[in-house]
Amino acid sequence: MSTNDVLQVRDLVVSRGRLEAVRGVSFTVGAGQRMGIVGESGAGKSLTALAVMGLLPAGWQTSGSVFHDGVDLTRESDRALSRRRGRTMSMVFQDPLSALNPTKRVGVQITWVIRRHTGASQAEARAQALDLMTQMHLPRPESLMRSFPHELSGGQRQRIMIAMALACYPRLIIADEPTTALDVTVQKQVLTLLDEAVSERGSALLMITHDLPVIAALCDTVAVMYGGRIVETGPVDRVFQTPRHHYTRGLLKSQPTMDNIALDGSSRLPSIPGMVPPLTDMPAGCAFRPRCAASTDICATMPELDDGHTSVACWHPIVHAAAGLSR
Amino acid sequence: MTAPDPDIARSGAVESSSLESKPAASEPVVVDKTGRVRDRRHWNASLVAGLILTVGFLLLAAVSLFYLPADPNLPAVRDRLLPFGSPGHLFGTDSLGRDVTAQLMLGARTSIYVGAGGALLGLIFGTITGLAAAASGKLTSETIMRGADILLSIPGIVTALVLAATIGAGAETTIIALTIFFVPSFTRVIRAAALRVLEEDFVTAARLYGRRRLFILARHVLPNIAGVLIVQFTLYFAVGILVEAGLSYLGVGVSRPSISWGLMLSEAQQQVGISSPLAVWPGMAIVMVVLGLNLLGDGLRDVLDPKLAKGR
Amino acid sequence: MARFILRRLTFFIGALIVSSILIFLMIRLAGGNVAAIVLGKDASPTAIDALAKEYGLDRSLPVQYLEWVGGMLTGDFGRSFRTKESVADLITSRLPISIPLSIAGLVLALIIAIPVGTYAARNTGKPSGTLVALLSQIGIAVPVFWAGVLLSLFFGVKLGWLPTGGWTPWSSSVSGAIKSLVLPTLALGLVMAASLSRYTRTAVLDVMNEDYVRTARAAGRTKTGALLSVGLRNAALPIVTVLGLQVAELIGGTVIIETVFSLPGLSRMILSNVAAREVIVVQSTVMLIVAFVMVVNLVVDLLYGLLDPRVRVAR
Repeated sequence: MSTNDVLQVRDLVVSRGRLEAVRGVSFTVGAGQRMGIVGESGAGKSLTALAVMGLLPAGWQTSGSVFHDGVDLTRESDRALSRRRGRTMSMVFQDPLSALNPTKRVGVQITWVIRRHTGASQAEARAQALDLMTQMHLPRPESLMRSFPHELSGGQRQRIMIAMALACYPRLIIADEPTTALDVTVQKQVLTLLDEAVSERGSALLMITHDLPVIAALCDTVAVMYGGRIVETGPVDRVFQTPRHHYTRGLLKSQPTMDNIALDGSSRLPSIPGMVPPLTDMPAGCAFRPRCAASTDICATMPELDDGHTSVACWHPIVHAAAGLSR
Repeated sequence: MTAPDPDIARSGAVESSSLESKPAASEPVVVDKTGRVRDRRHWNASLVAGLILTVGFLLLAAVSLFYLPADPNLPAVRDRLLPFGSPGHLFGTDSLGRDVTAQLMLGARTSIYVGAGGALLGLIFGTITGLAAAASGKLTSETIMRGADILLSIPGIVTALVLAATIGAGAETTIIALTIFFVPSFTRVIRAAALRVLEEDFVTAARLYGRRRLFILARHVLPNIAGVLIVQFTLYFAVGILVEAGLSYLGVGVSRPSISWGLMLSEAQQQVGISSPLAVWPGMAIVMVVLGLNLLGDGLRDVLDPKLAKGR
Repeated sequence: MARFILRRLTFFIGALIVSSILIFLMIRLAGGNVAAIVLGKDASPTAIDALAKEYGLDRSLPVQYLEWVGGMLTGDFGRSFRTKESVADLITSRLPISIPLSIAGLVLALIIAIPVGTYAARNTGKPSGTLVALLSQIGIAVPVFWAGVLLSLFFGVKLGWLPTGGWTPWSSSVSGAIKSLVLPTLALGLVMAASLSRYTRTAVLDVMNEDYVRTARAAGRTKTGALLSVGLRNAALPIVTVLGLQVAELIGGTVIIETVFSLPGLSRMILSNVAAREVIVVQSTVMLIVAFVMVVNLVVDLLYGLLDPRVRVAR
């Protein structure tokens, strides 16, 4: 919990009326660090990200605190937040076609961000935007600038979004499923690009996805979310190689790899039995309990996620032979 | 003429929000990825209020078939301009001594006859053209939609006036004018709804089975757009009532011995300054009925929302 | 963009032609022997024939149609049977009433509707928003003529502030003319505002929930800033579209209002001519109105193409 941390989330609860979608989430992202939040759809990942940015849709409330740049963002006015958004913290959204303004040329959308936060002149901003677009490996930036979003390909659109997010050298970039809407071949390009750009700027990255390999490739630490809570967190290598929560293990096992798929088609992909309970019907205590083979009565009370570098919220975490070797 | 509803927009898209209401606690609620909450079917205030007003109106008209407190066309000069609450005349009498209550009830009947009649015919023809436009090849479809566009450029009242001049005024003429007015709008909406259904996988499956187009339209598309049809009919019924009242007011709608609320208002205006209440009752009746129908239509639309919404 | 304009223009011209044929047929086919109707039952056959010849009514329908269209293109809209006045003169004498009334009514409606609709959209779910939505629901249920009658009863008869009807020409008294237009404009504008505010609310709601409004905020716009500069600007598109449709409604409303307040405008002229079976007058006037509506729609479509680049690509 040093002052070098870019983001510090404490007991974040996101709710709408009596419905709690995020039920007490805490994590820290250090400067330049890359953290991934992984989980199935509906686990609350996106809402967490939106809550951090202060962009929740109407009707949603938060409690808890989000520290960034020395202040608790949840106590700030929208006006104050708007000065940080795009400048010290920025976000890349999932579907660039609907996320970009369809009636404005893409160049203008980038220069707007620059001018908003730096007071640069139109000419200066344009030069910076061209520079950004070149960094994003976008072809013929001068003419591409004048295009409208619907005239570009999915990959190009996402690069524009990333350019907008990076323009002011933010300390934290949140990427919410940035490649899910793209073709598989394009995904890798965009991810590599994001990787390079983030390192180059020394920004911290909060990557939200349901795609485990993406986390493995890009992130240092990972937090696994289930049922609105973080069930396990730690360095990526440790968590993915020696998962301690049963859900994490189930998730990893269900990933198709060359090892668990026989080429003659004889194998069956393991899956976690049962279904994610609806938000209105969450079990008491550990949300994973109904689907967990190792659950006992004590699991009806919520296990704590012990704070610190590597932790798991489970009464019966999996023990590995060479366990305890955390970095 | 009025076309009060937002969904008569050029794209034929359907509005998906109305007066808000909270879902009942036990109703299933779905939170989608972006945090928007989708409510499933539920009774809402709009539906209930609309239903009450509409049913009340229909009952009033139905009762008038069997019972009228007095002859609405019988003048009784001695009893002229009796106020509200007079014995034997709940809403008083007009300048010729005719009972206002009876006139209101009869007017309700006219409103239904013309309003629903026009909306129904518009629905029938509009469905045919709308489905045709949705299921045909580019040329036919374009022609139909362009034709609808052209018809929409002719103000409905103008059509009604021209028809009144050539065929003569009256309830039936108004119905015809309404039909002409409604068909292009219905066509738009139905075509949009039908296209949405036609894009569904089960339709593709049916086609692969070898089902003929007509069969698909009748068995698959029609039941799925039934909700749209009902909602649109309700809303246009309301428009029809407004239009009928307007035309009768102008003198090109129904005339005595038939009665229309618009006609009552026109007669009342000639009594300007002498009896303001006469100008109030028919107007309020129109407002209540049209409001009821609109609320009902909106309420129904919310209930059927999952099928009608733009697929968010 | 050029192709888009060309396509739209072609449709416009085609629509004009088709609607002119429609109007012509509607009026002529059901009319019977026009000359006989105009002169009355007791007229002699020779008189009827003479009138028919004079107005070209004895020629075949297609010829009459072409003569009519040809005349209109050269500025000759025909003449009235009874008064022999040229239709063009008749129309121009009524325009100083109908046009200010329509424009003022529309402007008033817009001034009320856009803020109200936006307010309702921003406050959806809250009591204030529901109240406004309810009020506009009631507003659209109010018949335009009733609004007029009530206003005239209250402000005209009861309070005596404004005339209950009748028209003071601009030439005799500008203030008198304005006074005659206040109540009619109010009636027209308020009722139109009700439906326009519903459209606005829907448009703004739709846009408010769009992802790009959220992106704008993520880039640094405040909530209000995003709503107004991004949201409203994009919501302007469907609103502009609706305005095109509203023109037809506006004309309908003007017809009624002119009757309620006894204003000698264009619409009343149509009414009286319709009653008098003045076929040629009605034909030309209706055509003019329809052409006007089509021009407005053309402008709206082109404007939309200007505002929304996605439309220019393909239909």
